[in-house]
Amino acid sequence: MTFETDVDGHRCAVSIEPVGDVARGGGRFRVAIRDLEGDQPARVYVVDSRPTALGLSLAFDDGRMADPAVTTRPNGEYLIQFPGVDVPVLVDGRRRRQGESAGAGQGQQRITAPMPGRVLRVLVQSGDDVVARQGLVVVEAMKMENELRAARAGRVREVVVTEGTSVEAGRLLVVIE
Amino acid sequence: MKVLIANRGEIAVRVIRACREMGYGTVAVYSDCDRTAMHVRLADEAHAIGAGPASDSYLRIDRIIDVARRSGASLVHPGYGFLAENASFAQACADAKLTFVGPSPQAIALMGGKTAARDVARRVGVPVVPGTAAPFDEQATDKDVVEAAATIGYPLLVKAVAGGGGKGMRTVAAADALLPALRLARSEARAAFGDGSVYLERRIVHPRHIEIQLLGDAHGTMLPFVERECSIQRRHQKVVEESPSPVLDPETRAAMAEAAARVASAAGYTNAGTIEFLLDESGAFYFLEMNTRLQVEHPVTEAVTGIDLVQWQLRIALGERLTVSPDRALTPRGHAIECRIYAEDPDRGFLPSPGLVRDVTVPGGPGVRDDRGVEAGFDVPLFYDALIAKLIVWGESRPQAIQRLTRALDEYRVVGVQTTLPFFRWLVRQPEFAAAQFSTTYLDALLVDRDGPFVVPTATDREDAAIAAALTSWARAHHAPGESANGGTTAWRRASRLDGLR
Repeated sequence: MTFETDVDGHRCAVSIEPVGDVARGGGRFRVAIRDLEGDQPARVYVVDSRPTALGLSLAFDDGRMADPAVTTRPNGEYLIQFPGVDVPVLVDGRRRRQGESAGAGQGQQRITAPMPGRVLRVLVQSGDDVVARQGLVVVEAMKMENELRAARAGRVREVVVTEGTSVEAGRLLVVIE
Repeated sequence: MKVLIANRGEIAVRVIRACREMGYGTVAVYSDCDRTAMHVRLADEAHAIGAGPASDSYLRIDRIIDVARRSGASLVHPGYGFLAENASFAQACADAKLTFVGPSPQAIALMGGKTAARDVARRVGVPVVPGTAAPFDEQATDKDVVEAAATIGYPLLVKAVAGGGGKGMRTVAAADALLPALRLARSEARAAFGDGSVYLERRIVHPRHIEIQLLGDAHGTMLPFVERECSIQRRHQKVVEESPSPVLDPETRAAMAEAAARVASAAGYTNAGTIEFLLDESGAFYFLEMNTRLQVEHPVTEAVTGIDLVQWQLRIALGERLTVSPDRALTPRGHAIECRIYAEDPDRGFLPSPGLVRDVTVPGGPGVRDDRGVEAGFDVPLFYDALIAKLIVWGESRPQAIQRLTRALDEYRVVGVQTTLPFFRWLVRQPEFAAAQFSTTYLDALLVDRDGPFVVPTATDREDAAIAAALTSWARAHHAPGESANGGTTAWRRASRLDGLR
């Protein structure tokens, strides 16, 4: 089985094949990991993986060990935590990063809620022309007001929420073209 | 004797601990999402006061007073935030024959209103930052505000009269940004404090934020403490606090302490409070505002003076005389630094990162204090400030305190949610931090220009993380949900499994 992983924009194909019997996620695996950019060959390991209270204990055949905590966040990504460093990982594009959906420089901008909260104010209406960095929607979360802005100029095609609406993370708020 | 703690989180825990030490019973209150919170578990008894949103629970004066009556509490400690600076709450306590652990309702009303507090300071000859003399209430027109702003000059700050903690405050660089900032500040203040009145104040360029802790008893003693420096702020929120300030000379320290005591005495102030000053580049200081409550950062003062401020709050409320010697309060022993650890993802613009805290590993060893309100198994709610813990370190000197802080931050581990720990690990390694070369604009300016994670994972970390995520996905696909013993397991499932083992 092959998974596509994304660590802060660094994308890899990770193929996982069990070696012998595997129970409850624990056992021996043949792991091949290949960078999706560039043409480096895949790195291949045999990994003993054992579930722990917080995540996985990994022992590689080259002597390397890792004991990360693994948490599935509400937005669908994995939060992999080592002592001293947190590494969020997307598997098979399970999460749209904030702003990323807006595209690189042209086309449609889809403004989504970066966190759960409540829509306090909608500052634009359908048909409005907006300039870059113009405020579109104010979302309150954890007692702070966060103004979501347009990444670049455009025309508001659709306002999907109304003031007072509670929104989940990732909920579409405004579409700009 | 019983004390009701009208708060939640780490400050409720802090107050409960002081009560325990003094032999007083403790009564906690909690909202629906805080049923299993640490402050509830530590208290002798706990009572539900409503739904998650603070306006339905921690801001409900009627319900809190009712709990105090029913539980037989005789004192009410408000902590900070929520009702701590609400004169009506202090009055409601007095009306119900409860002792409010804080200043009188009159003193709260006087010093909590920012323009009135500035008047008090001016009257006793303490310089204030130039700004509007009278506040703009909800009826004031945009034109009024624009005209006043022109006389003060830019850059300026729009500040909520009832504000605090950076809420209801906006920086305005030039005239065209005034009205949008006004709108945001008003609405934030209305939501947070129920009052949209604002005032304008000139923005001092590169100021340092220095504040004086005070304790006043009911017998006329007003005791100023050695200063705290809280210049490291992100969007007007304090992030790191220390004591003493690395830049204050003894003359300025004495002058500032004397000025703070003068203002508080003029206001008839009792119990714990803090007067905040801005120190400009020439070394002149200006009265900023008074906080009529215990501060988040009070532990750094406790660390360098050895005086328990919360115990003294209770003793003063019970009518005791302050017996701490002025020298002791004003003379720092060593150096202390506090970091506020939030459930926020620093690598995504400090967005809130609420959720289930699966595990916490707290640093220990010499000079380390952990004031925490969240334990493993607690779901950090979205409704409140996302402060999880305060890490306070003490060292013989500032360099030693920084070494200790660096070490303690590396030991600290919170699993399940993202926290500001990586940000602090980065911050304490900045040369300006070690050299104490910062002002209240330092951090925001630094953050604007930087990109990428605060703690950069190594190539091996990245590969291990990708493999761990892929293995977890593989296990998900091959076993029923909940069968994998990793992040897919819910707290409920774990609990029922443990029950089955009994």
